[in-house]
Amino acid sequence: MQSLQTIKQRLRSVKNIGQITKAMELVAATKMRKSQEVALLSRPYAYVALEFLANLSRVSVGYMPPLMEKRPIEKTAVVVVASDKGLTGSFNSAVFRAFEKYVAVQPLRMDASTTTYIAVGQKAVSYLMRRGETIEQSFVKFGDYTNIEEVRPLADYLISGYLEKTWDRVLIFYTNFRSAMQQDVVVRELFPVTFEKLKETAEEIIPQTGKYAAEGHGALFQTNTGATEKEYIIEPSPEAVLRELVPHLIIMQVYHIILEANASEHAARRMAMKNASDNASDIVDDLTLEYNKSRQAGITKELTEITAGAEALS
Amino acid sequence: MKLGVYSLKNTCYQGEVKSITCRTSAGEITVLDHHRPLLSVLAPGVIKITDTDRREHYVPVASGFLEVMQTNESRCIIDQI
Repeated sequence: MQSLQTIKQRLRSVKNIGQITKAMELVAATKMRKSQEVALLSRPYAYVALEFLANLSRVSVGYMPPLMEKRPIEKTAVVVVASDKGLTGSFNSAVFRAFEKYVAVQPLRMDASTTTYIAVGQKAVSYLMRRGETIEQSFVKFGDYTNIEEVRPLADYLISGYLEKTWDRVLIFYTNFRSAMQQDVVVRELFPVTFEKLKETAEEIIPQTGKYAAEGHGALFQTNTGATEKEYIIEPSPEAVLRELVPHLIIMQVYHIILEANASEHAARRMAMKNASDNASDIVDDLTLEYNKSRQAGITKELTEITAGAEALS
Repeated sequence: MKLGVYSLKNTCYQGEVKSITCRTSAGEITVLDHHRPLLSVLAPGVIKITDTDRREHYVPVASGFLEVMQTNESRCIIDQI
C-alpha cells in the first residue's frame, strides 16, 4: 500500500484536473448551444439555396455561368476542415480518418501534381504537414460564431481557383452536426455543381429528429425531380441572375459547412470533457477509498504496536 | 400560394399568402396565385406580403433572390439589413 503522503498528493492533482475539465465542459456546452442555434437557424436558408442551385443546374437557359461549367476532372482541391484547438475527443481524428479512407478507395489519381490541399483549422494544418503534403493555403481562426464575412476569403479562394482552372473539383471534408451526441463526417463536393450532388447534400443537412426535422422541407426536392417543367422566366436576364446567384450560393454552402463544423467541434469537446471529468471523479473516489484504508491500516498498526509494547512490559 | 422567406439568421415568413410585392432589379413586381415559374434578383427595399386574411407583413431586404415554382409555391432567400 502506498504511503499516505503520495496518495494525498495524487488525490489533490486529480481533483484539480477534474475541476479544469469540468470548467471546460461548461464552457464548451455554452458555446455548443449557441453555435448549434446559429447552425440550425441557417439550415432552412441553406436548404432553399441548395435547391435553387439544383434547379438552376438543370435549367437550360442557353447561358452557362463559368462556375457551373462541366469539364473533365483532372485536378482536385481537398479542403480538410478541423478545429483550431485540441481536446476535442475524436472530432479531428474522425475527419482525418474519413479522409484517409477516401484517399484509399479513390479511383482518381491523387498525388502532388493533381491535388491541392487546403487546410481549415490549425489541427488540419499540422495533420497535413505530418502527412507530408504541401498545403497550398490554410485558413485558421474562424470565430466560434462565424459570420459570413469571415468565411468569404475561403469561398472566394475556392471560386477563383475553379475559375482559373487551378482545380476542376473541390472536395470538402467536414463534420455535420446531427445532435449533441452525434456528429458525422461528410465529404461534400462543392465543385463541379451537379444536381445529384446537391440533392445529396440537401438530404444530409436535414436532421432526422428534433425540432428542425424534415416535415417543413421533406417534399420540396421530390416535387422537382420531374425533368420536364423547367421553364423559368428569368428576370432581368439569365446572365444577370446567374452571375449573382451562383457565387452567392457557393459562399452560402461554404458558410454553412463552417457553421456545422463549429457546432460539431463544441459538441465533441463537451462530450470529451464530460468523459474526462467523469473519469476524474471516479479516480477521486477510488483514491479516497485507498487513502482511508491506508490511514486505517496505519492506526491499526500503531495500536498493535502499543498493545504489544504494553504486554512486553508487564 | 405558399411562401417562405428565409434569411441566414431566421425564417422571416412562412405560410399561405395572397400576394407578394417586391422590388426586383427589373422593377417592382407583384406575384399572385399561379404565377409562371420565375426567378429574379431582389433589389434593396421592402417585401410586402399580404396573407390570406388580408393582413400585411413587411420584410426589409438588402439583397436576395425570389423563386416562384410551378407548384404554386414561392420562396425568397434574403440578406437582411
